[in-house]
Amino acid sequence: MQSSKALEQLLRSFQIWRGQEIAPVRACSTGYPELDGLLPGQGWPLNSLIELIPMMEGIGELRLIVPALKKICQQGRDIVFVRPPHLPYPPALSNAGLPLNRILLIEPDNDENARWVAEQTLREGAAGAVLLWSDSTRNLALRRLQLAAQESGALTFLYRSPGVLDGASPAPVRLVLSPQAGALRVEVLKARGGRASTLSLHFHSAA
Amino acid sequence: MLWLCLHFPDFPLELQEPADEGCLAVVDKHGSRRWIIACNEDSKEAGLHRGLDATTALSLVPQLKLMDRSRSREVTAMKALAAWAEQFSSFITFDVERWLLWIEIGGSLKYFGGARELSERITSSAEALGYSARTGVAPTIEAAALFARHARNLPIANRQELRDALELAPLNLLAIPQTSLEALHEIGWRRVGEILALPPDQLARRFGPTVPNYLQRLIGDQPDPREPYRAPAIYRRRFEFSAPVESVESMLFPLRRLLGELQGYLRGRDTALQKLELHFKHAKHPATRLEIRTTAPQRDAVRLFTLLRETLDRTPLPSGVEELSLLVEQFVPIGDTQLDLFDAAPKRDRSWNDLLDKLKARLGNVAVKRLGLADDHLPEKAWCVVRNDEAPGTDVPGAYPERPLWLIEPRPLQHLPRLLGKPERIESGWWAGNDAKRDYYIAQTPEGARWWLYRDAGSSSWFLHGIWA
Repeated sequence: MQSSKALEQLLRSFQIWRGQEIAPVRACSTGYPELDGLLPGQGWPLNSLIELIPMMEGIGELRLIVPALKKICQQGRDIVFVRPPHLPYPPALSNAGLPLNRILLIEPDNDENARWVAEQTLREGAAGAVLLWSDSTRNLALRRLQLAAQESGALTFLYRSPGVLDGASPAPVRLVLSPQAGALRVEVLKARGGRASTLSLHFHSAA
Repeated sequence: MLWLCLHFPDFPLELQEPADEGCLAVVDKHGSRRWIIACNEDSKEAGLHRGLDATTALSLVPQLKLMDRSRSREVTAMKALAAWAEQFSSFITFDVERWLLWIEIGGSLKYFGGARELSERITSSAEALGYSARTGVAPTIEAAALFARHARNLPIANRQELRDALELAPLNLLAIPQTSLEALHEIGWRRVGEILALPPDQLARRFGPTVPNYLQRLIGDQPDPREPYRAPAIYRRRFEFSAPVESVESMLFPLRRLLGELQGYLRGRDTALQKLELHFKHAKHPATRLEIRTTAPQRDAVRLFTLLRETLDRTPLPSGVEELSLLVEQFVPIGDTQLDLFDAAPKRDRSWNDLLDKLKARLGNVAVKRLGLADDHLPEKAWCVVRNDEAPGTDVPGAYPERPLWLIEPRPLQHLPRLLGKPERIESGWWAGNDAKRDYYIAQTPEGARWWLYRDAGSSSWFLHGIWA
């Protein structure tokens, strides 16, 4: 009895933001209940590298994580974009409920520096979410990122291009994103503690 | 008054960056005589010691490397140490000739938890700068010096304790001319207590006024006024290398020391910096100038060191560095955030600022951006980069018609994808000199990607301007 009470307290202290049941993984709801159901801890796991592989640009690959980013901003924490392929457009960010004073854009000139930035940001523990675009296939580099993510308590998204699908990845969560009849098809390739499965997400907006 | 004296027995050696293995000694000269005043561990193991004649030393250890004493370098280093010591007290004075630095600690004892704690703290802080120091604590300047050289760690609180402690101290610790010491020795005196018992006028008749005057200052019967050292209001510190260095690695030792000293100076004045300059002097090229700016007021030596290192790593140096100097011209009050150690929010701010400084140091300032909105109809002008952490303005969610998350440079389109919905007309005023008239559409490619396109009303050409990521 004593120990189960202690466990309960411990679990409560993990600050699970949303979920059907108490799970020992800290997570932040994705904003899509059907996706939450497939992920460990019922949401994007904190302390874990989340690998997102969009099959092409312009399919809602960023909008997928906007609800979670919004939550991070509401907590007064910042979001760091590291070497995105294009300009994160301020009016669109603002529209989406991501206050610009919570956004930091970092543009290192090469992939190695980009990974360094992400790692430093995670280690410093200042950011609420780190979004990194890197096509590095160096397993060691990715493992370092995973370790940094583990200690950080931040949401860590790694965007990679489809070319990396052949190789293995140290990321505990790996999703492939593709378009499907006006919706976003999310394929959970790997989710440690979750379920491998596929689902389609329809965004509410017109675009 | 209670004085803590620091004695640096290896001062002339430790002024420089640590040397490679091998026997090294620093010599002083008077007329044609040259003798060792400090030597490194290797030399000591080879049988060399302080006071040994240079010619004799060379005959004992032919590969011995000799360096001449540089008083100007000693003065530079001692002044920097005095500035560093301001963090412990407001009264600092020194004697370069004897490698002694005094800190008046009577007023700081309570704050630092007692003489012994303070003494340990000062010694380890000096060690972190790369200096080995011995300390002595006593109510008079000369007694503190005597006990520092004697390596007596027990603090002496008052004049009675002082008399007792001096009683058995060996005579050769007295800071009096060598000839007087030898004369006293010949008479058969061995302990300080023995000559303190002699009447001063008798000593004066034999040795002149120097010896009794010194003894009276030693025990506190005569005042021993000193000028306190005041570091200049602009902080400048030079470090000369014994030979030009090429690698960043070999600059780390002086950098660590210089920043450690600076930290002490800043603490002493309860201030901080936001800008720091570093100059590298080269033999045949103009000096390289390097500047560090921090987001928040900063005085932490370790943080500054990390920033400098990063900046240095991406700064090409044209040739070897002969000398480096550190310069701080402006000081700012230390931010509240640095004081509130137990509050989580300021701590997060602090780690943010530290992070930003680190990123800027490695990537350059322009690589780190905050974004803001701008009041312009044209999509490519409706945003801006926010400089210097000024407030980016309040943004209202939903204030814009739908906009794509990626904006790209307008790219001409050859094949038009399927257009969805009605166009949005965007015009910029002719008064702005660039009157544009565009119809924006959301479009879907055959593969399923969504783009943001516009048709230029003037030329009827189509452009891709954004991606619905």
